[in-house]
Amino acid sequence: MSEASMIGLLSAAVSFGALLYLAALGELISEKAGILNLGVEGMMAVGAVTGFMVALETENAWVALLAAMLVGALFALIHGFFTVVLGAEQVVSGLSLTILGLGASAFVGKNAVGKPSGAVLASVDWGPLSDIPWAGPILFSQSPLVYFAILAGLAAAFVLTRTSTGLALRGAGESASTVDAAGHSVVRLRLGAIATGGALAGASGAYLTLSLTPQWTEGVTAGRGWIAVALVIFGAWRPGRCAVGALLFGGLLALKSRLQTFGVDLSPILLSMIPYLLTIGVLIVISIRARHRPSSAPAALGQAYRREER
Amino acid sequence: MGRLVLVRRDQVLQGGQPLAFLIGIFSALLIGILLLAVSGHDALAVYERMFDASIGSSKAWSLTLNRAVPLGLAGLAVAVAGRMGLWNIGAEGQILAGAMMAAWVARIGESWPSPLLITVMLLAAVLGGALLGLGPAVARAQIGVNEIITTLMLNEVALRMLQWLIHGPWKDPESRGFPLAPILPEGARLPGLFQQAHWGAVIALLVIILFGLVASRTAWGYELRVAGSSGATALYAGISLKRKILTVLVLSGGIAGLAGGIELSGSSDRIVEGISGGYGFAGIIVAALALMRPSGVAAVALLFGAVQVGGLSIQTMGVSSSVSTILQALILFGAIGAGVFSRYSVKRVSKENQEVQ
Repeated sequence: MSEASMIGLLSAAVSFGALLYLAALGELISEKAGILNLGVEGMMAVGAVTGFMVALETENAWVALLAAMLVGALFALIHGFFTVVLGAEQVVSGLSLTILGLGASAFVGKNAVGKPSGAVLASVDWGPLSDIPWAGPILFSQSPLVYFAILAGLAAAFVLTRTSTGLALRGAGESASTVDAAGHSVVRLRLGAIATGGALAGASGAYLTLSLTPQWTEGVTAGRGWIAVALVIFGAWRPGRCAVGALLFGGLLALKSRLQTFGVDLSPILLSMIPYLLTIGVLIVISIRARHRPSSAPAALGQAYRREER
Repeated sequence: MGRLVLVRRDQVLQGGQPLAFLIGIFSALLIGILLLAVSGHDALAVYERMFDASIGSSKAWSLTLNRAVPLGLAGLAVAVAGRMGLWNIGAEGQILAGAMMAAWVARIGESWPSPLLITVMLLAAVLGGALLGLGPAVARAQIGVNEIITTLMLNEVALRMLQWLIHGPWKDPESRGFPLAPILPEGARLPGLFQQAHWGAVIALLVIILFGLVASRTAWGYELRVAGSSGATALYAGISLKRKILTVLVLSGGIAGLAGGIELSGSSDRIVEGISGGYGFAGIIVAALALMRPSGVAAVALLFGAVQVGGLSIQTMGVSSSVSTILQALILFGAIGAGVFSRYSVKRVSKENQEVQ
């Protein structure tokens, strides 16, 4: 295996990893507040099509990215309205959001199929840093969204563990009535978390159409939203561990198209099963451990909260 | 002045759910009109075509019925688990597993007499779905592993398995490079019923009726509901939760697997990547709209089948078939929204008096 192909693999692992991490981080924030949102795949699709369409219109990739995040957040709030305000079943609402997002993105993007992209987010040039052997191509010549993902992860870890908002947000996912009694609005906390999750999923979708493969095709998300859901569990609801998982799963995605170059005689399709099987394995370990000590999953995950019924 | 709160009604409104369902359909159609009009289509002409293609003739009905079969069985699969408060999100993968098992039987039993071959294929399909449900079932019953995530993950695993088969060992040498399995032998195809419809509709209806009877008339069905509404009560009543969880999730998988076998043998004729086409996920919406009731599942599946057939028909008018996908999700959201008001009423709470009236 040549040095160049190894560098190519690691660089792609970071790139794919950041793509998965953005969406996973959004889901993590939402789940920390007690809301399971299985709409990630749909939110990503909506972000992807918004990013591409706005780029076509404005020829400005940054405006397109912002639009994708905004639309992602608004789209996620549909789930918020039904689950938080109306107390609907989160599984059903989230899956419907995925179906709606896949349908809506196909509908909106129908005439954009095959069109050349209006604008792309060019790789960041870090000057001399980009010329360092290995680290240069792997870390210092990536899409701006890679650095955004790193910053978002650090910010999320800080807010969740070091601020009172983060404490309240985690409280909403552990014991909503306690947070309510402490004077916080559970509705506002949860809606905020869902909207943030939607914005990050939107950014992840836009990464696809503004950086990775700058074009629109129906079904461009290709199940990556489900990997993001898996990553949250794989990372045991911790931003740091999720980042490690994202690099690992991103590496597997990157390896998929390179198996033959490396002379490995294994079907790339079978390789792509690994993230899901690993996640099931991790979930089983978490569940066994949960018998002896508090589970790492938010205690109130999936439960609606109604103040008058506490 | 004050704020509005939802207050639980003492009694659920009579006929609330069917009404909520109708409101859901109505509001979805309304939003659909807006969507079509904004994008420059003649919305009413589009709807007319959809109605015509899905229920306008006996051929249209046969197409609708063929789609309702996997939707109904997937919906039933979700409902079987849902009655016990469990979520089988894995119907999509179980449908694929069922189809793969049935296709495998068709490969080895090509020379068998047709009725035998089809029977064994469908049984194998049930087994395939049940096997995919077994893992999450054991994990949930024995260790308490959340079945939502495990079943969801196995969807992707089953999909990769199928992709591997049609890109590799099962690839049709005459497919000119396309990832397709060979067409099934004639004897492996379900016989026709009328027009395009096949016997799958009869099988699906029988399965739905059978489960409906078991759920409402037997002690087992009663225990299921008790276990679903309160695990603690079930324990006091001596109902073994572990065994119930295991049976229900495996049964649920088996029913979804059957849907895959019927889809292969009746409609698709060969294994292709899109053989499930989202039936498993749509089944979750079907079950939710039907409030996990078998009779409701059949009705909603028929409606969704019609919407899907209608969606395909408007492509010739230059309208994206995704309209039907959007409509299905909107029907659900509309119905959830409306359904809330059969269980809750809106009360105004004044600032001074925070107590609910």
